[in-house]
Amino acid sequence: MADPNLGHAAAMIRLRLLGGVALVLVAAGCSSVGDRQEAAADVAVRLLTAVEADDGEAACAVLAPDTVKSVAEDEPCPQAILDQDLPRPGKVVETSVYGQWAQVKLDDDTVFLGAFPGGWRVVAAGCTPQGSRPYQCAVEGD
Amino acid sequence: MKKFLRHNAIGLVFGGLFLVVLVGQAFAGLAFFNEGQRAVGLPDVSFWRYVTSASFGVDVAENWQSEYLQFFLFILLTVWLLQKGSPESKSLDKPGRETDEEQKIGPYADENSPKWARTGGWRTRIFSNSLGLVMGLIFLGSWVAQSVAGVAAFNEEQLSERQDPVSWGQYVLGADFWNRTLQNWQSELLAVASMAILAIYLRQRGSSQSKPVGAPHEATGVEG
Repeated sequence: MADPNLGHAAAMIRLRLLGGVALVLVAAGCSSVGDRQEAAADVAVRLLTAVEADDGEAACAVLAPDTVKSVAEDEPCPQAILDQDLPRPGKVVETSVYGQWAQVKLDDDTVFLGAFPGGWRVVAAGCTPQGSRPYQCAVEGD
Repeated sequence: MKKFLRHNAIGLVFGGLFLVVLVGQAFAGLAFFNEGQRAVGLPDVSFWRYVTSASFGVDVAENWQSEYLQFFLFILLTVWLLQKGSPESKSLDKPGRETDEEQKIGPYADENSPKWARTGGWRTRIFSNSLGLVMGLIFLGSWVAQSVAGVAAFNEEQLSERQDPVSWGQYVLGADFWNRTLQNWQSELLAVASMAILAIYLRQRGSSQSKPVGAPHEATGVEG
């Protein structure tokens, strides 16, 4: 007859293994979300830093294609982006990442980003909250 | 092999169809998701990215939870509720949990009864309710999964519309969660009520879910 303690021990090992696998998956998920948040915040700060430094080329390089098109309606993007009413880069207060979208809240600006093959790109910046209505943004795609 | 297939045909066919349809849902959902991506100027996502997304997760889980709720309620309530003439009901003189003798448990178990039906105590109590318990637990698990995937999918949409994300607590008290939940529940409850009532008057020759074609409309608890 099989030793019931052996069965119990095997069950415990299986449980611990399952627990270990779950922990690794949760850790992987968290670190992946953490990495994506950091990367999104980095791109948002890069845009505002470039604008502050009058580096239009660098600023336009982190914009999403539709946003570039919208900004560059009357003059080339590197000039037009510097004329927009974007604030100086502040401290990152909160970053949220959900699927293909991210929102980075800074001291005095909110930036929305989309996921692209090369990483995050800014879809809208210079955004201010409007209560329960969508943010109003100084720079955004159509 | 042939015998195995014949003896397990219901599980195998429905399990196989489930997988085929789930893959179909994944491709249709991917096409729909990417239409939305293009509309807001974002690139298409890959099949793998989509099937691991919150959007796919919530669409799958909201249907699962309602199906398991349907079975859980049907299994549990038909212990007490009867329907005259329906093959989905027990006979009218047997409402309730019935006697140990009728249920063949404890001293009334025979040599072919499952072990936990024979042993008595907590094992028999658990085994006596195991079908409802497991269906109920899968329902709760799927419903929680719906809420977790749902809040992520909802927040993805919020961000795409330049709005703030919400917390899980706000989401489960909000319109999106209850709209998804209740639209599934109503259809499941309608299906159960229709089945219980239509099967009184209609027949499907040879089906385990129908009374024999010649059985009277009043015959209750009879299966074909």
